[in-house]
Amino acid sequence: MAIVGQKLVQQLKTTGLKATLAQRLDDGFTRFTSGLSWNDVRGVLRGDPAPRPNTRVKPHTEGFWFHIRPSFYHEAVTALYPTFRLGFLSAWIFVLEIITGIFLMIFYTPSPGAAYPNMIDIMTNVPFGKFMRDLHRLGAEAMVVIVTLHMWRTFVTASYKKPRQFTWFTGVLLLIITMFLSFSGYLLPWDQLAFWAVTIGTSMADAAPLAGPTINVLLRGAPEIGAGGLLRFYLMHVLLFPLIGVVFVAVHYYKVVRFGISLPPEMEAVGEDTARKVTPDKRVNFMPDILTNELMYVAVAFAILAISTVTWYAGAPLENHANPLVTPQHTVAPWYFYWLQGLIKIPHIFPFFPSDWGITASIDGFFANVLGLTPKTLWGIVIPPLVILLLVVVPYIDPNPSRRYADRKVAITLGVLFELLILYLTLGGRPQGVPVTGFGDVRGDPATEVAQDFIPDEGESIIKAIPYDQLVVGTHEVVEDLNVPDAPELNTVVHELRDEMIKKMQLSDPAKKLSNDATATLAVTQLQDNLKSVLLTINYTDAEGTAKQFTKGAWVHKDAGHAE
Amino acid sequence: MNLFKKIITYRPSFTVRILAGLVGFLAMLSVCTIVGISDIGALGERDINFKARSIEAGARTYAEQCARCHGLDGKGIEANGPTLSHISFVGKSEETIGANNVLGSKDVTKSTRLTQLGWTGSLVNYVRGVVAAGIPIKSAADWETIHPTFSQAYGGNLREDEVNNVSNYVANWALAPYESDDVVMPPEPGTGGAPRPTAVPLSAEQEKGKELVVSLGCNACHAIRGVMNGAVGPNMTNIATIAEGKVTDEQYKANVKDQPVATTAEEYIVQSIYHPNAYIEPQCPQGACAAGIMPQTYEQSIPAADFTALVSYLLTLK
Repeated sequence: MAIVGQKLVQQLKTTGLKATLAQRLDDGFTRFTSGLSWNDVRGVLRGDPAPRPNTRVKPHTEGFWFHIRPSFYHEAVTALYPTFRLGFLSAWIFVLEIITGIFLMIFYTPSPGAAYPNMIDIMTNVPFGKFMRDLHRLGAEAMVVIVTLHMWRTFVTASYKKPRQFTWFTGVLLLIITMFLSFSGYLLPWDQLAFWAVTIGTSMADAAPLAGPTINVLLRGAPEIGAGGLLRFYLMHVLLFPLIGVVFVAVHYYKVVRFGISLPPEMEAVGEDTARKVTPDKRVNFMPDILTNELMYVAVAFAILAISTVTWYAGAPLENHANPLVTPQHTVAPWYFYWLQGLIKIPHIFPFFPSDWGITASIDGFFANVLGLTPKTLWGIVIPPLVILLLVVVPYIDPNPSRRYADRKVAITLGVLFELLILYLTLGGRPQGVPVTGFGDVRGDPATEVAQDFIPDEGESIIKAIPYDQLVVGTHEVVEDLNVPDAPELNTVVHELRDEMIKKMQLSDPAKKLSNDATATLAVTQLQDNLKSVLLTINYTDAEGTAKQFTKGAWVHKDAGHAE
Repeated sequence: MNLFKKIITYRPSFTVRILAGLVGFLAMLSVCTIVGISDIGALGERDINFKARSIEAGARTYAEQCARCHGLDGKGIEANGPTLSHISFVGKSEETIGANNVLGSKDVTKSTRLTQLGWTGSLVNYVRGVVAAGIPIKSAADWETIHPTFSQAYGGNLREDEVNNVSNYVANWALAPYESDDVVMPPEPGTGGAPRPTAVPLSAEQEKGKELVVSLGCNACHAIRGVMNGAVGPNMTNIATIAEGKVTDEQYKANVKDQPVATTAEEYIVQSIYHPNAYIEPQCPQGACAAGIMPQTYEQSIPAADFTALVSYLLTLK
C-alpha cells in the first residue's frame, strides 16, 4: 500500500494532477477492455488503420467476451451473402427476449388467480408494459422465423457438410428449443387463446402410446391444465428452456468458431473446406470492421423490431380469461405448429388415392386392426419425431461431396419440396384449410361459421367493432340495402353479413352450405346506460329440411375500445 | 437478378456502418421515448377499455347466472329475488365505469338499501361479497331460497374474475337506475316485506306442529317460506288456502284414485299425508310431480297426537 502511494505521489510530482488522472483512468479503461486504451477504441470507432504491432488483438487473447469471437473473418463471408447474419441475429433476439422477459417477470405471478389480472395490469398500469409485452411476443415470433431461415440458408449453401455435421445437429436442437420456448410462453397470459392452444398442444403428447399420458400429466401437473400446469410452463419458459438454450448456443457457436464460417460454395474446390485457411490478404479484422458491422446490424434490426411493435404489428392479443368449461370455436395452436395440426388432419394412412376407391379404407383397416395404428397416431405421433430425425440425419445421408448449387439439384429440389409440403400442411392446419384443394377445412354448420366470422366470442369481432353510437337500438333485418340513418358502418357490416350468407348459400358442399331461404336479424338492445347487447339470429333450413334457428350474442360497452 | 446480387454482396463502407448504426440506435431511442410519453395517457385509456370489457363479460355471466332470479333487466322477480337496478339499491352516479370502481366515479344519490343494512363499504364490494359468499342466513324470509354462494371459494361455480365482472356489471346500473316503483323491492331488514304465514300467532299445539314439520323430515322435500326450503315436492307455504281450493276443484275431483274425494281442507291435508298417491299435484319445483316419491307409511308411523298437531299447524298456512 505504501509503495502504491509512493508511486502515485511520484507521478503527481513529475506529471501533475491532470495528466496523472488521465493516465490512471486510461489504465483502468485498458483493464476493462482487456488491452485496448481509450485511444485504441477511438481508433477502432474512427476506422483508423490498425497500429503495428496490432494492439487490437489483445482483447481476443486476454478477455472472455472477445476470446469467444475470432480476431478476423474471411473476406468472403463479410457481405450479406452467404450468411445473411441469420445466426447472429437469432442470438441477439434471444438476448432481446431475455431482457424483455425479465421486465415482464417483475409484474407477473404464475398462478391462475393472478396471471390474467397481472396481464391487464402490465397493459394498464405499467409504463412501457404493453410495449415490452408486444416486443417480447414479436421477438418470439421473429426468432422462430429467423432460426428457421437460418437453417434453410445452411441447407441451401450446404454448410452442414463435413466437418459441420455436429454443428447442424445442435442447430436442429436449437430450432426445437426455440419452438418450445415460444410455445411454453404461450400459456402464461392465461386467457382463452393461451389455455386452449396449450391444451391442444399437450393433448398431442397425451395421444402418444405408452408414455403419452404420463408425459401429459408431467407437463400439465394434472390431467387438465390448472395451477400446476401454469407453474410448470412458467418454470420451463423462464428456467429450463433458456438454460438449455444458453448451453446449446454456446456449443453451437463454439463449433462455428472452431470450423469457421463456411465460405460461399463457389469459392471452394469440391470436397475441400478452406474456411480456416485465410491468407493475410483475405483477412478482415474483427476490430474495427466486423465489430462495427455487427453493431450496425443489431441497432438496425432492433430498431425495425421496435418500430414494428408500435406500427403494423397488432400487438400481443389478450382474450377473455381462461375458461376450461368453454372451448372457443376454431381453437388453434400457435401458427408455427399449424403444420402439426395439418398433419393430424390427414384422414388416411395412405392418403394418395381418392378415398372413394375403397383401397384407402382397406389400408386404414389393415393398419388399425393388425398394427393398432390409426391415421391420427401415425401422422400426429409417429411422423413429427421422424421429421426431426430427418433434419438431424441430413448431413449423414447426403452422399454428395460438392457444395456447389449446380451439383446439388436433387438435394435443393427435395428441400424445396419439403418446404412446400410444410407450407401446404401449415395452410391445412388452419380452420379454413387449404384454398382450392379444401384439405383441412373443418368449418361445419354454416350458420355457426357466419356467426364465427362476424361475432365470435374471442378475438377480433366485426360487429363489436361497429362504433357504439352506430349500433342503433332495434331489430335490423339483414338485407342488402339496410339503410339506418347515421349508421354507415352498421349498414356496411350488415351488407357484408348478407354477402357472406349468400356466399355460403352457393357452396357445393351441402354440409357447409346455407339454405337459400336463410334470413337473419341483428337485434340491438340497450341493456344499461353505456352497454348494449347485440343478438344475431339466423333462420335457415338444414340439410334434412328442418327449420333451424341459430342465435349468438355479444355485449358492447361504450368505452371498451373495440372500434379502435 | 443483378440488383439482387448487388444487394447480397454489398459491403457497407465504414462511414455507412457507423451512420446506419447511429440511425438505428436513435430510432430505437425515439420509439422508446414516444412510447414512454404516449403511455402517460394510453395507460389510463387502456384501463378504461379493460374495465368496460369486464362489464361486458359480467353481462354474460349475469344473463347466465343471475337473471333467472333477478330478471334480465334487474327489476327482480316476485318471490325469487329483489331488484338490483333500482336506485334504492345501486344509488345513482354519473360518468363512471363500474360505479364506485374507477377513477372519476361520483355518487349523486347513495344507496338507501346499504344504509339500512349498515354497510359502510362501497356498493361494488357489497355486491362482490354477496355474489361470492351468498347470504347465509334468511334475514329476509320472504324469498324461496337464500342467496346462493357463487364463488368457487365457497362451493359455487364462478371464478374470482367472473365474480368481479358480474359485480362491476351490477354496479354499472348506478349510471341510469330505475326510479319508478314497478320493481320487486327487498323486505325491510329484519322484518320481511310480504306477509309471511308464520306471522300468524300460533297456539301451543300449532307450535308443536311447526316443530314437527322439520323433525318428521317434511323439510327434505317441501318448502314453507320462512321455515324450510325443500325443493322436491309442492310448496306448502299456503297449503291451507290451496287445500280449500282443491275441495271444489274439478281437476282434483276427477283425479282422486282409490280414496274418497275430500270435502274439507282438513280432509284434503290428511289424505295427502296418509295416502300421497291418491292425488298427484301436476306441478312441482323441478317439473311434473311423480307418484310414489312421498313415503306412504305416515298413517302407521306418526303418533295420533303429533298428527293432530301437525295438521292443525298446516291449516294455519293460509
